[in-house]
Amino acid sequence: MITRKDSSRSSWMAYFFLLAAWCCLFSPAVMVKHENFKKCDQSGFCKRNRAFADTAAATSSWTSPYALDPSTVKFKDGTLSAVVLKTVGDGEKVKLPLTVTLLESGVARVTLDEEKRQKGDIELRKDSKARKERYNEAGKWALVGGLETSKGAALSEKVEKGYTKVFYGVGGKHEAVIQHSPFGIEFKRDGETHVKFNERGLLNLEHWRAKKEPPPVEEKKEGEEEKQEEETKEPEPQGEDESTWWDESFGGATDSKPRGPEAVALDITFPGYEHVFGIPEHATRLSLKSTRGGDGAYSEPYRLYNADVFEYEMDSPMTLYGAIPFMQAHRKGSTVGVFWLNAAETWVDVIKSKTSANPLSLGTKSHTDTQTHWISESGLLDVFVLLGPTPQAMTKQYGELTGFTAMPQSFAIAYHQCRWNYVTDEDVKDVDRKFDKFKIPYDVIWLDIEYTQEKKYFTWDPLTFVNPTKMGKQLDKTDRKLVVIIDPHIKNTDNYPVVDELKKKELAVKNKDGNIYEGWCWPGSSHWIDCFNPKAIDWWKSLFKYDAFKGTLANTFIWNDMNEPSVFNGPETTMPKDNLHHDNWEHRDVHNVNGMTFHNATYQALLTRDSKGKELRRPFILTRSFYSGSQRSAAMWTGDNLAEWSHLEASIPMLLNQGISGFPFSGADVGGFFGNPSKDLLTRWYQAGIFYPFFRGHAHIDTRRREPYIPGAPYTEIITQALRLRYQLLPAWYTAFHEAHTTGAPIIRPNYYVHPEDEAGFAIDDQLYIGSYGLLAKPITKEGATSVDIYLADDQPYFDYFDYTLYQGAGKTHTVQAPLEKIPLLMQGGNIIPRRDRPRRSSGLMKFDPFTLVVVLGKDGNAEGTLYIDDGETFDYQVGAFIHRKFAFSGARSILTSTNLFADKLTVKAENYLKSMAKVRVEKVIVVNAPKAWKSNKEVNVSEEGAKESARKRGVGLEFFEGGRGKADWAVVRDPKVGVGKGWKIDFN
Amino acid sequence: MGKQRLCTISFLLYVLSTTADAASEAPRPRGVGPEFAKFYKDTEAFTCISNPTIKLDIARLNDDYCDCPDGSDEPGTSACSHISPLSFLAVPRTHATQYNETLALPGYYCKNKGHIPSYIPFTNINDGVCDYDQCCDGSDEYEGVGGVKCEDRCSKIGKEWRKKDEARQKSLGAANKKRRELITQAARLKKEVEDRIKTLQTQLQAQEQKVAALEQSLAAVERAEKGKVIKGAGKGGKLTVLASLAKDRIQELVDNVQRVREERDIAKSRIEELEEILRRFKEEYNPNFNDEGVKRAVKAWEDYAAQERPGPDSAKDRDLDEILKPDSESAIKWDEYEGGEESDVDVLYKFEEYLPDSLRQWVDAKLRDLRVLMIENGILADPNTDAPESKTVTDARSQLDSARNELDNDKREITQHQEDLEKDYGPDDVFRALKDRCVEKDSGEYTYEFCWLSKTTQKSKKGGGHTGMGNFARIEKITVDEDLPADGKGLGSGERWVLKYENGQHCWNGPNRSTQIILACYETDEIWKIVEEEKCVYRMEVGTPAVCESRFGSAKKDGSPEHNEL
Repeated sequence: MITRKDSSRSSWMAYFFLLAAWCCLFSPAVMVKHENFKKCDQSGFCKRNRAFADTAAATSSWTSPYALDPSTVKFKDGTLSAVVLKTVGDGEKVKLPLTVTLLESGVARVTLDEEKRQKGDIELRKDSKARKERYNEAGKWALVGGLETSKGAALSEKVEKGYTKVFYGVGGKHEAVIQHSPFGIEFKRDGETHVKFNERGLLNLEHWRAKKEPPPVEEKKEGEEEKQEEETKEPEPQGEDESTWWDESFGGATDSKPRGPEAVALDITFPGYEHVFGIPEHATRLSLKSTRGGDGAYSEPYRLYNADVFEYEMDSPMTLYGAIPFMQAHRKGSTVGVFWLNAAETWVDVIKSKTSANPLSLGTKSHTDTQTHWISESGLLDVFVLLGPTPQAMTKQYGELTGFTAMPQSFAIAYHQCRWNYVTDEDVKDVDRKFDKFKIPYDVIWLDIEYTQEKKYFTWDPLTFVNPTKMGKQLDKTDRKLVVIIDPHIKNTDNYPVVDELKKKELAVKNKDGNIYEGWCWPGSSHWIDCFNPKAIDWWKSLFKYDAFKGTLANTFIWNDMNEPSVFNGPETTMPKDNLHHDNWEHRDVHNVNGMTFHNATYQALLTRDSKGKELRRPFILTRSFYSGSQRSAAMWTGDNLAEWSHLEASIPMLLNQGISGFPFSGADVGGFFGNPSKDLLTRWYQAGIFYPFFRGHAHIDTRRREPYIPGAPYTEIITQALRLRYQLLPAWYTAFHEAHTTGAPIIRPNYYVHPEDEAGFAIDDQLYIGSYGLLAKPITKEGATSVDIYLADDQPYFDYFDYTLYQGAGKTHTVQAPLEKIPLLMQGGNIIPRRDRPRRSSGLMKFDPFTLVVVLGKDGNAEGTLYIDDGETFDYQVGAFIHRKFAFSGARSILTSTNLFADKLTVKAENYLKSMAKVRVEKVIVVNAPKAWKSNKEVNVSEEGAKESARKRGVGLEFFEGGRGKADWAVVRDPKVGVGKGWKIDFN
Repeated sequence: MGKQRLCTISFLLYVLSTTADAASEAPRPRGVGPEFAKFYKDTEAFTCISNPTIKLDIARLNDDYCDCPDGSDEPGTSACSHISPLSFLAVPRTHATQYNETLALPGYYCKNKGHIPSYIPFTNINDGVCDYDQCCDGSDEYEGVGGVKCEDRCSKIGKEWRKKDEARQKSLGAANKKRRELITQAARLKKEVEDRIKTLQTQLQAQEQKVAALEQSLAAVERAEKGKVIKGAGKGGKLTVLASLAKDRIQELVDNVQRVREERDIAKSRIEELEEILRRFKEEYNPNFNDEGVKRAVKAWEDYAAQERPGPDSAKDRDLDEILKPDSESAIKWDEYEGGEESDVDVLYKFEEYLPDSLRQWVDAKLRDLRVLMIENGILADPNTDAPESKTVTDARSQLDSARNELDNDKREITQHQEDLEKDYGPDDVFRALKDRCVEKDSGEYTYEFCWLSKTTQKSKKGGGHTGMGNFARIEKITVDEDLPADGKGLGSGERWVLKYENGQHCWNGPNRSTQIILACYETDEIWKIVEEEKCVYRMEVGTPAVCESRFGSAKKDGSPEHNEL
């Protein structure tokens, strides 16, 4: 009996193991390879600092060992300097110079350095050539302005003992209160604390110390082996755990760490804030989850270490391709933020600490504090504190520091058609013709790596791309563009002048020994250009000259991929941290800005590629890796996603997060990169993709073709409608980009950004507003869904974009029917939306088309909106060559007006531009939610500035339509013939 | 949708060419083709073509504002270009079915004086691009937006076109001639097959007779043979001989099994080692590399690993051990069988020895007859089956066998030829003449080859093996709608013959390769274009004289002329 039972169990076990083994064999193919990437406890400094935090939390009498020496405090011109002393064992004090800079913008910057390293008073191990200082150049790459110190900032005279206090910001409303011992800072606005440094005592700056090397072992003689045993004996642990201080191995690669432990870490608390957003890029929700375990929380910190993550997973704090260490905390009535300027590997723990209401003390309401813990491997502790108080102020302040989004060429916000790969120049031309044949608009076609000759960038495969110039010219005929990929790895091979020059001029990244670094990427053995080197940038520029990179034309643009950098055989698919860059900075110090230096170099190259110095055009570059500041020169996409519904769903919060984090020109691969989407998924993805600021369809080389004309009826027709909708709304998109370019506002906006007072909507991240137009979209991201619930935060009436069905009611969701052919898109009352209704082959061919204005009257009967247009390609807009209008409808007066938002004197270029646009008119005004009183009106009166006296006042036809059940009434002004760049008035009385 | 419209255009073009003269008198509004002139005659008002309830002031005609739900008031502007199922409505409908909202006009009419008139989509009007392909007179850009100027190029384009058209017509003539030759050839080949069938049928009859005769003679010989009880003389007992033979044989087998087993064990451990290497390879390779070779290897390994294989059966191995032991219990005791025994035949003779001589004769004869009877009726086993046959029988049988073989071969050949006659060889059997002929084309890094009714192949120029892109499966017809360039090397539009090639080499992460070959009329066999439409699904556009007349034949049937884009 017993034996039988046993045997049956063992056979069951055998099946189980067989099944398990089978699963192991196949599932990794569709999942991220976790073992390739570090968890916090595999990254020494993260593990050390998390352990430090655990110790602090577990010690009731925990005191941070950092104290400010009050005798060292100096304050001059808005800058406070002092020395913070770190007490280490034996009462030894380590000097850490502190700088607190108060900026005119109301932002405070806190920088903590280490004197010994600063002065180079340390010794590096293993004859390392690396720099001795903590990396202090991240700002050189990330910051472009907003650094003027506050003139009004002042040291407070009246202050408690043990504290130093500074007033700053507009009207001195901001205060930084520095506690001397233990060292900590509270940032206040209007007397209320919003941000606290070192409240939990987790400040940790790992000071330099020499490694206590074990006594040198006598030189071994041959055959003498008994000593080995002695060598491997671990020294008895004493005091701190040094196991991760000196060398670290992961996945078979060893990091030599010549400078020893050098992490910087700090806890930052946002008292009273339940929601924090930002720190992209992660495949996670907009409102960041806590990371210390528990229900629905992550157990790993958010990681920022730019990496090429193959088939990344959803809902994870795992690192991705780019990093923006900017976090904002939001609550009703206030938004604040911190910008952690550090380019090294960084981990961020988030904890939400709830305080329940105290029934004994009046006025103590229950609230949630968000506590964060920032940990970087090396570099300075350098933090900006932004005190808002609104989401708009937040994006503006951050934008002033790191720069606003570049004004893109108009084609760049239209539709991009990509695939790995269009295989020949004929293939490209054929796809181009097919789009026309099926009457589908598109602007840009892309070439992935296969166009090159054996993955040598700046070459064309002579067999497949026989005549790239002819191909480029065919595209140009319909004002279309070509984007080709250029990556930072340069093939290490013979007969390739680019690599020869790279080597000869010594412009490549070096290994720890100072020799040229060699790793593997697409071409096999490769070297990497080091764009930290100004000479490398100059050389890079020379490669893009039209006469150097033959076959490229003025309509060729560039895609920079793999710039994390991706190194197939490197640790965590990137470079060894002890590699050396220009000026001997270690790769560990600069890793997260590496990608940005590369696409910045390409940006400069595109500006100078015409040797004849002809008219400058705005470059277009797509990058995969990014850092704070990347928005100034590139667009980004969320990398290699999967053709799965979950990835479609995740794209919305990811892009919303990009938007509020200062890099709004972002998109996700429409259709999903890996795998074949079902026709339904593809269709829904296009319907969502038209709301991505960067809108590109892309596919992996192993997938079936899926250009919009492929799926057939009814899908092709539905996708075409979606694409045409994007094109129809391009004037609104372009204006939204202009707003981002001038104010830092996101292009697509989450609910909290538009309705910062609506607490119920703070975490909503699956619906979005386009620019300032009140256009509210909620893409369908669930398989088989035929309706969707849209949340309305305010009590304005909202109207279906297509049939004017009314939805109204604040703080609730409203069900919108959405069969496959329907895009859930609403118009908020109170807005005026500019459109161009004539379908064309590309956006370039719409430049002189007339406009339609959709005036959506709000509950008070008013509406307004803006329109920005320029030539869409040159930099002439910088000298005023643009049209920027404000349209406003006054319900009280029943008059629609167009007024100029640009008051400067006109330059010649500006005048020429206006002249070129003189004939471009408003052909139609649709008033949605029109007053019933207009029912009997047949005419409106139109008057235009500068028109001849006789034509000053014209009667123009008006037609009124009754919407019927549940739908708004509307009226259409028939061809008012007013110039879009002119001042005018339409009187509906 | 777009397809439909284009068809309409080509139809209209046809009508146009016949009525152009008649309609040229009255000046028409811009963009109106002659066949629509009648709707635009009224000089006071305009009535929307498909929505006659809507009447407009004549000033609203071509005023760049779309009034008619069918767009007919704007034949010369792009104002109504959004009327399409591909666009959302610009303004919602008040009543779903109130109006006919299909564009009433096929497009903007370009007169193209000096060339052929044509319609161009409204979306292309005044967009700043001179669309000379459709509108050689440049009239599509009369507004000159953005400073564009499109001069009239019709005389030049028309001249070139006529020149090319002439050449094309000429080439078409040659192509048709070639096709007729092919058909003649195909007919000849068909005739040959038919003749061969006839010859074979005659041969078959003779062969059948021969077989029947041989069957009879074999039966006779066998009957005579069956009477004999003893065949060949055996010394000593047969069992003894057998036993000694078996002993030697078994020893030999045991030795061999032992050797094979050792070899197997070595091979097994090598396979385990290899599988371990591959397993590690699969786990550690970088999937980001797009190395076809590696991918293929990994895929093949995955397939291999996924196959169910019975594990080593230790019980069977134990059995084997047992068998190989010389002195085991199961081993045969040879000594027991060796020597001392009488043969079975001797025993029979001994039985008869007890009978008187005459009786013995009689019994003997009766017994023999009885045996034959029983054997022939299947009651008794034929003793001869496990003994060597006599030469006469063998000869007779082999004669019969070879005659039967010949008969089967002939039958098979006839069936083959008959099937071949029934097989689809396309229009007028024309592909019969081309079977197994091959055409090649260089395209990118490959040379592509297509062989009529056999296979398609991709040959890498960078070296490496050839890749089979499919084997011929069947002939089909599809409708295409493509440009026909002036040199005639294009599919044009209408029904075309298609050769389907399937089940080519398997694709990593994809299907088996397949090729669709779309044929269009041309003077010579020529591959024009090769496209990988989907992963490992290829499409070749091929010109051949083989489909020439049928192309016109089918086109004429539905009344539309050859498609002219220019």
